[in-house]
Amino acid sequence: MRASSLLFVAPALAFVALFLVLPLVRDVQISFFDWNLISPNRKFVGLSNYAAVLGDPNFLATLAQSALYVLLALAGNVALPLLLAILTLRTGRREADVYQTLIFLPTVIPVSVGALLFLWLYLPYGGPFSKVLALFHLASPNWFTDPHWALPAVSSVAIWKFFGFNYLILLAGLKAIPASYLEAAEIDGAAGWSRFQRIVLPLVMPTLLFTIVTTILQALDHAFVPIQMLSVGGPSGASSNLFYAIYQDAFQNFQAGRASALAVVYLAVFGAFAIWQFRMLERNTLYDA
Amino acid sequence: MMLSRAVLVAAILALILPLLYMFGTAFSPESSIFEHALMPIPPNPTLENFSVAATTMNYFNMLLVSIIYAGGVTLGQLLIAVLAAYAFGCRRFPGDAWLFAALLATIPIPFVVTYVPNYLLMAKTHLLNTYAGLILPQVASAYGIFLLRQHFRAFPRSILEAAGIDGASSWRILWRIVVPANLPVIFALGVYVFVNTWNQFIWPMIAMSDPSMHTLTVGVQDFVAGEGGNHWGALMAGATLATLPTLLVFFFARRQILNTLMEGAVKG
Repeated sequence: MRASSLLFVAPALAFVALFLVLPLVRDVQISFFDWNLISPNRKFVGLSNYAAVLGDPNFLATLAQSALYVLLALAGNVALPLLLAILTLRTGRREADVYQTLIFLPTVIPVSVGALLFLWLYLPYGGPFSKVLALFHLASPNWFTDPHWALPAVSSVAIWKFFGFNYLILLAGLKAIPASYLEAAEIDGAAGWSRFQRIVLPLVMPTLLFTIVTTILQALDHAFVPIQMLSVGGPSGASSNLFYAIYQDAFQNFQAGRASALAVVYLAVFGAFAIWQFRMLERNTLYDA
Repeated sequence: MMLSRAVLVAAILALILPLLYMFGTAFSPESSIFEHALMPIPPNPTLENFSVAATTMNYFNMLLVSIIYAGGVTLGQLLIAVLAAYAFGCRRFPGDAWLFAALLATIPIPFVVTYVPNYLLMAKTHLLNTYAGLILPQVASAYGIFLLRQHFRAFPRSILEAAGIDGASSWRILWRIVVPANLPVIFALGVYVFVNTWNQFIWPMIAMSDPSMHTLTVGVQDFVAGEGGNHWGALMAGATLATLPTLLVFFFARRQILNTLMEGAVKG
């Protein structure tokens, strides 16, 4: 019995250990070397990759831009979906079904395709947005090469693509609130904002926290392909983030040690956060059991 | 009520507008695209862009690569998830809670910290530009185990015990009783993994430097950077062709995907 249970788990453990856990160990290891990813020669350099990464004047900017990506994602992929989910609940069932399907639609589109669609929409000369702006006698900025617009423009693509998932999760959380609670509140005279604040919000809180935490953890990941396809992190790094900087160090600048050091820094910062998320997941699971 | 509806419809329009432009531009004659840039529906539609895109993008080859990639990862993930979820959901063994927690803890590990080591591992084992190298690292995911365990755990224990008393091996109990009873959720998980894998971009780009081994998602980028250039009609036709398979899968299995994701959310 014992042995056979472990056999059922073994394939999953093997894959996860080899491709998810071992890489973390390798990151730490590689971070101590000066290495171009290809050459058989690598030089042990101790902590100097960390010194280089943390001492880089661009590091703080990249960090601040990462925080901006996260903030925009929280607004666009948590607050807005929550509002739409609440509104969806107020409509009829058939109708809600159509809304759900359409809102989820961008989620199944490849993100590289999504990036291409926005390249067209944002085209400064002749693209649809530029024509709308022209109606108001406004000139379109060069969205993806303008130092002020590049980050929000890239972020809008990620928000568009990942909107539907959180919407669905939040809708599920709201739907799980027993109708009798809401009716009782109505009888007690609580409606509108006060009903939302005192009854809906506390009951949907576990789901809301889940979406907040996963959004914080995934915001940099979600922006990656739009950055790669639309702005390549530019102009002069203005739309880069921590993930993209790691990728550029490894696969464009061929500085594997530096990339790994940055990855380890990321893990240290977000690792604690991820553990907190995991605890919360666990608590939600127990909640249900 | 009217206001809710107005806000919802406006938001939905904003979300699907890019897709409407994709279809519209794909059917628009190249010469008049910029004249009608604001109109998602072209006045005199043509199929010409599709033939241009299909030939220059090497579409059918990329379609095949994408199908093998997404199909392989889906089968792999389903297999390891069904087996592990059965052990965690229907059986008890020493250390099970601890092992499950350890697996869960790997869910938030981002790709960006695993891709360099995995790339090096694939290079060392000469698996770059092979299907094995493309597929195997992506099979490692604990999300399916987590989702399926929720459902397997809810399966009546008495039935499992009765089958055990009748002498059925645990292997048979899994494949003859637990899996058939949970086919809808396994199917939904499969569709979800398939669509997500199909849509992946970075790993296929890194692991497959050979253009003849590019997936459709990478192919779109090749096309933008190369021959597609400013031919927006052909680019949008290419984008439509790359998107069509997942759109079809989604419409075909819509209810099951949405319901499973929503259930998973509430169950934790």
